[in-house]
Amino acid sequence: MKGADRVAAVGVGYSKTGRRSGLTSWQLAIQAAKAALADAGMTPQDLDGVALLWGVAGPAPAGLDIVEPMDFGYMLGCGPLNWYGEAGPAYIGPAIQAVAAIKSGMAHTVLTLRIIRQRMSSAEQLASEGAMAQPMQVGGDAQFTAPFGSVSPVQSIAALPAQRHMDLFGTTEEQFGAHVVAQRHFATLNEDAIFRDPLTIEDYLNSRYISTPVRLLDCDYPVDSASAVIYTSAERAKDFKQKPVFVDSASYSSVKYMTFENIDDMTQSSPFHAARELWKRTDLTPADVDCAQLYDGFTIIVFQWLEALGLCGVGESGPFVAAGNTALGGSMPVNTDGGACNVGRRHGANFCIESIHQLRGEAGARQVPDAKVAVWANAVGPFSGAMLMTSE
Amino acid sequence: MSTPASLSPPIPAPTPLTAFFWESLTNRQLSILRCQNCGNYVHYPRPICNVCLSEDLAPEVVSGKGTLYAHTWATQAFHPYYVDKLPYCLAVVELPEQPGLRITSNIIDTPREQVHGGMALEVVFHEISPGLTLPLFVAEGFAPVTA
Repeated sequence: MKGADRVAAVGVGYSKTGRRSGLTSWQLAIQAAKAALADAGMTPQDLDGVALLWGVAGPAPAGLDIVEPMDFGYMLGCGPLNWYGEAGPAYIGPAIQAVAAIKSGMAHTVLTLRIIRQRMSSAEQLASEGAMAQPMQVGGDAQFTAPFGSVSPVQSIAALPAQRHMDLFGTTEEQFGAHVVAQRHFATLNEDAIFRDPLTIEDYLNSRYISTPVRLLDCDYPVDSASAVIYTSAERAKDFKQKPVFVDSASYSSVKYMTFENIDDMTQSSPFHAARELWKRTDLTPADVDCAQLYDGFTIIVFQWLEALGLCGVGESGPFVAAGNTALGGSMPVNTDGGACNVGRRHGANFCIESIHQLRGEAGARQVPDAKVAVWANAVGPFSGAMLMTSE
Repeated sequence: MSTPASLSPPIPAPTPLTAFFWESLTNRQLSILRCQNCGNYVHYPRPICNVCLSEDLAPEVVSGKGTLYAHTWATQAFHPYYVDKLPYCLAVVELPEQPGLRITSNIIDTPREQVHGGMALEVVFHEISPGLTLPLFVAEGFAPVTA
């Protein structure tokens, strides 16, 4: 990403966010897109690309509207698109697609979206599956995991690697809790957060296990949400309203099969590959980072990214977090918006948007002083990616 | 007669590539696909060896020994079958046949305080529902003697 032909983020926006919002996927996407266009001071005719990922987290209830990039561009009043794409994982997929399209010259200004409709609750899902006359049949690689009761991401994405991290490195539940408490403190300073009451370590240790050692408070909060970020070339960025935030480096990783149980190294999965590539593509180093926004679908993912990015040593994330480094005023503030546990699940898009707020210097009470370099990271296990952003 | 979903875990829907695994289990054997050219085990089953690119692969019975790579005690049911089976121990077991060769399973019949990462395990076969036998694991030396 070095050189003059940099990509810049020039607009950000959210839809209304919450449980049972009553909004359709289209309405969520439209709200986020209009907010980002307004933030950028842009009209749909300024866009020539749309990259998005739509999807419910879990089984889709019948009758959902599906957001397709081509369809959505036309719905929004864009002219003919030079670029459209649908990619995951989570929000890093559309973000990387947009950056690649602009860097290659295939598009000049791309709207990216992550749209999530909340799935059925666990209780609703249990009831609907319990009512089925036949056992659930599973194909693909899941036939080797689901019959053993590996039926929730909390087990395979979080609990198995978290227990292994504890076994290998002596990481403790109190150290996981230190992250949850520090992240909630940031949320108390964020008017847009859903959960804003302070937490104590006792609150954390008193919350119930979902699958050991993972507790309820280690899990992000499922909501209906859409998040939008608009990227353009550094040259065109001058035409729009906001001080641009530049993409200094980005990386995208896929390793092994698309199941979490069979990762070669559960505590050093694709984020380690993504991070190595990220640092290869920049002159910056981990010492230059002012704040880190690390995907917190589950707490252990934050710990893995801290180590992968070299923000602390391998196996040292527990003591690093417990010492207060990632809290407000610490050496490496992490998830300064409060994270998806507190602002609601936006699948990584909130971490891109929070990086942009911090680098614009508009994060209010949670602002990291003089923040010039932010890294955000998304997903874990078999697939992930990261982006380094700068204010200059 | 049908089996309600609450009486069975999710059941595998084998393909021609994966059927050997499940058929082998009904004979109380654990088999893993192995490259007949270079000896590399390939799990999950794939039609090609990712080491030598040979497409000559065949199932081979493995020892049934293992070590515990990672585990968790599930305390919330996400499928109706597990509602009355909590907590259960979901495990990833590394097989001695090849570094990194692992299968997902459960630790059963082992006191919770004895379950720890790296413990030695051996396979037992449990017929969970008619036609479905699962390879589960117990602490090595604790497998019941069967005919």
